[in-house]
Amino acid sequence: MEIERVVITGLGTINAIAGSVPEFYGALRNGVCGIGPVTVFDTTDFKTHTGGQIKRFDPQEMIPAGFSTKRMSRSDIMAMAAAVEALKHAGLFPVPDELLADTGVVIGGGAGGMLEGEEAYRQYLKDKGKGVRFSRFSSFCCASSADHITSRLGLMGPKTTFMTACSSGATAMGYARDLIRAGMARVVIAGGTEPLSRITYATFNALGAVDPEFCKPFDKNRRGISLGEGAGILILESLNHALNRGAQIHGEFLGYGVSCDAHHMTAPDPQASGAVRCMRTALLDAGVHPEWVDYINAHGTATPANDRMETLGIKEVFGKKAFQIPVSSTKSMMGHTLGAAGAIEGVVSVLGIFQRFIPPTIHMTEPDPECDLDYVVEGSRDAEVNIVLSNSFAFGGNNTSVVFGRFTEKGIVHE
Amino acid sequence: MNESVVISGVGMVTPLGTGKDTFSRRLFKGDSGISEITSFDTSRFLSRLGAEVHGFIPKDFISVKNLRRMDRISRMTAASARMAIEDAGFGIDASNRDRVGIILGVSYGSTDVAAQFAGILFTEGPGMASPILVPNTVINAPAGHTSIELGFRGINSTVNHREASAETAIAYAAAEIKNGRADVLLAGGADILSEFFFEIMTHFKAVSPVNGGAEGARPFDSQRNGPVIGEGAGILCIESMAHARARGAAPYCEIAGWGLSSSPSSPTDWPSDPAGPILAITRALESAKITPEDIDYVSAAANGGRKLDHLEAEALSAIFAGESQKPFISSIKGAVGESFSSGGIRTAAMAISIREQTIPPTLGLENPIKPLPFILKIKKETGINYGLVNGFSSGGTFASLILKRIDE
Repeated sequence: MEIERVVITGLGTINAIAGSVPEFYGALRNGVCGIGPVTVFDTTDFKTHTGGQIKRFDPQEMIPAGFSTKRMSRSDIMAMAAAVEALKHAGLFPVPDELLADTGVVIGGGAGGMLEGEEAYRQYLKDKGKGVRFSRFSSFCCASSADHITSRLGLMGPKTTFMTACSSGATAMGYARDLIRAGMARVVIAGGTEPLSRITYATFNALGAVDPEFCKPFDKNRRGISLGEGAGILILESLNHALNRGAQIHGEFLGYGVSCDAHHMTAPDPQASGAVRCMRTALLDAGVHPEWVDYINAHGTATPANDRMETLGIKEVFGKKAFQIPVSSTKSMMGHTLGAAGAIEGVVSVLGIFQRFIPPTIHMTEPDPECDLDYVVEGSRDAEVNIVLSNSFAFGGNNTSVVFGRFTEKGIVHE
Repeated sequence: MNESVVISGVGMVTPLGTGKDTFSRRLFKGDSGISEITSFDTSRFLSRLGAEVHGFIPKDFISVKNLRRMDRISRMTAASARMAIEDAGFGIDASNRDRVGIILGVSYGSTDVAAQFAGILFTEGPGMASPILVPNTVINAPAGHTSIELGFRGINSTVNHREASAETAIAYAAAEIKNGRADVLLAGGADILSEFFFEIMTHFKAVSPVNGGAEGARPFDSQRNGPVIGEGAGILCIESMAHARARGAAPYCEIAGWGLSSSPSSPTDWPSDPAGPILAITRALESAKITPEDIDYVSAAANGGRKLDHLEAEALSAIFAGESQKPFISSIKGAVGESFSSGGIRTAAMAISIREQTIPPTLGLENPIKPLPFILKIKKETGINYGLVNGFSSGGTFASLILKRIDE
C-alpha cells in the first residue's frame, strides 16, 4: 500500500509581529522586533516588563461576523482567527459539507484560558468567593480552543489537544499528519495557541529565565527568553485530496520525531541527547539525509542552557555540514510563544520554502564561542529553501522536531 | 504496518485501591470508592462526596530521590506506570529505553499546585512566587517525571480533552506502536481532586446533586443528578503482539481498533444529537474490521450526568438497534467517580474484564433510562470477545476503543 503524502494548503497566524500571514512574511523578511512592554496585565510588581504581546487584539476584527466570541478566551480567539485565515488561504472556508466529518482539529495548547481564569482566581482570593465570575473558567481547559473551532465550523472529524509545554504545537502537526496517513481524516486544522498570562509570566520569572530587555538567541550575553503570545495554524491535507480539488500546495509535511530527555523537568540535557534523537528520528521519518537540509528553524529560546545545547545537538546530527546550514531563531522577533511556538515556526518554515527565503535571528551582537553556527544575523536571505528542520524542546524533557519540504509531484527535492 | 497491538500490563492508583489485584477484586465485588471528601473542608459546598484515593504509599513504587520532586498527580502516574511495566514483565534498560515512551491523558492536571502557585502570586506578589513549584504546574509534568523515574527516552506526549483525554491518548499510543515508532508505550490517564477545582465544578453545576435530591453517582439511572468527582491514575503497557511474544509475555488483550470524532458543542456543554458518538463508535468498529454484533460488552462513559448519559444511551441504542442480543453495558464511574482522565483506569478494567470474562457492576443504577442490557448491582460472568470503551467529553469530543480477546 502506498503511503499517503501530506501537504500544507493553508497557513494562518497572529503574533507579536503580525496579524496575518502576509504581514508575517513582511515582518520576517525585515527582521521586525515585536518585543516590547506587556500591557495585557499589570507587570508593575514583576522583575521584568517586556514580552511579545499582540499589537492589535480586536476580536471583532479577528473573528468572522456571525461567529460569537461568547465565553472564548484570548487563547481561543487567537486560535480561531488563525484557523479561519488558514482555511481561507486553503480555499476551504466555509468547510464544504462533504468534508465536515473528515476534517479534524489538532491543537497544541499551553496556558489555555489562564488569563481569564487567573483574574477570577485573584478575585476569589480577595473576596473569598463572593461576586466571583466563575463563568470566566468556562474556557479554562486548553481543549476549549479545539472545541470552539469544531463547533463554529460544524466539524465532526477527530479532535485532539496536545499539552507538552513548548513542543505542543510541533507535536500537534505531527499527529495531524498521522491521522491523515491512517485515513482517519482528509484535512486537519493543526497548530497551536498561547496567550500571555500572569501565571506563565510569573513561572518563568521565578525560574529567572526571562531577559528583562528582549531575548538574544545565541548571543554571548543572552539572559533568557522573552515570553510571547500568538497562534499558528496549518491546514494539512492528503495530497490526493489537495490535487483533486486543485488546491495550491505550499509545502509538504515530510516527517516528525518525538523524544524525551528523561533528565530534568526544566533544564535540557546538556549533552543534547534528547535533541539529537528527536532530530534524527524526524529526518529518518521524513526520508531526508542530514546533508539535504537547507535551513534549521531553531528552538533558540535564548536561555544560556538551550542555545548551547541545541548548537551542540545540531553539530552532532549534521557533523561538518552543520556549519553550512543557516540556523535562525525567529523567537528573537516575536518572543517564545510556548504551546504555539512549534506551529508558528511551522508557518515560518513553510513560508521560507514557498517564498524562498531564510528569516534572521535578530538581537545577536556578540558571538558566543559555544554557539558557532551560521545564525543568519545580518538579516533575512534569499535562498532556494527546499527542506527545513524545525525544533521544539520543552519542559518535561519533551522534544519534537518537524521536517517540511518543497512540494513536487516526484517527491523530495534536494541538491 | 498490520501488526496487532496488545495490552501486556496494567497499573493503577484508584479510589478502589492501588494495584490491579485490589482494584479488580473490589470492582467486581461491587465496592464503592465514593465517600465524603476528607482532603479538604466541603462544608461550604452543596456537594460533599468524592471518589478520593486513600492509602496510596508512593514510596512503595518511586525512588526517594525523584519522589521529593513530585506532586500528587505525578506520584500516582509514576506509580501506575511502574506497576504496568512490572505487570507486563518488561525491564527498561540502556538497550531499549529510546524505544519506550509514554502518552498520557491529563484533563486538569496539578490543580492543587497551580492554585498554590497562583495563591502566592496574587497574595504575596511575583517576587515570592516559588521556583520550586514551577515544574509541577505544567500539565505534562506527570509524563516527564515518569520518564525520569523509569528512565525511558522515547516518545513523550500529553493529551488533553477532558473526559476523553485518556482514551485519545491510548488511541494515539496504539497507532504509534502500529506505525513502528516505538516498541513499548505506557498510555493512560491521570487527574486529581483538589479544593479549588472542586469549587469550580460545583459552580458550574457539574457535580451531583445538580438540582437537589440525594447526592450520588448514578450512571444511566432515571434519578441521576450529576457525577461525583473522582481522582486517580491508570496506565497500560502497550506493545506489538510480536514484541510481546518474543519476550514470552502473555498479554491481556488486543487493542483492535479506535475511532475519534467530534460534534458541535460549547466547551462546558454536551451536544444533544448523538451523531458524534455514533461516528466515533462506527469508526472504531470499522478500524477493528468488525460489526456491532461482535461487541459483547460496553464500558460506558456515562457518569450520572443528565446530558452525557442520555447522549450515550441514545448512541448505543442506535448502534445496536439491529441486534436481538445487544451487548451488556456497565459504567464503573458509579464506583470510581468521574476523574476526567479516567480512561486509563477504565481501559485497564476492560483488559481485566476480558481476561476474567467478567463484567463489573454499575453502582448507583437502579432504574435504567433505556431498556438496554445494563449490568446493575452484581457482576456478570459471560463470554467477552470484544469490548468497547467509550470516552466522551463535554465540548463534543469522542474517542472509542475496541479491545479484543486474544485467540488461544
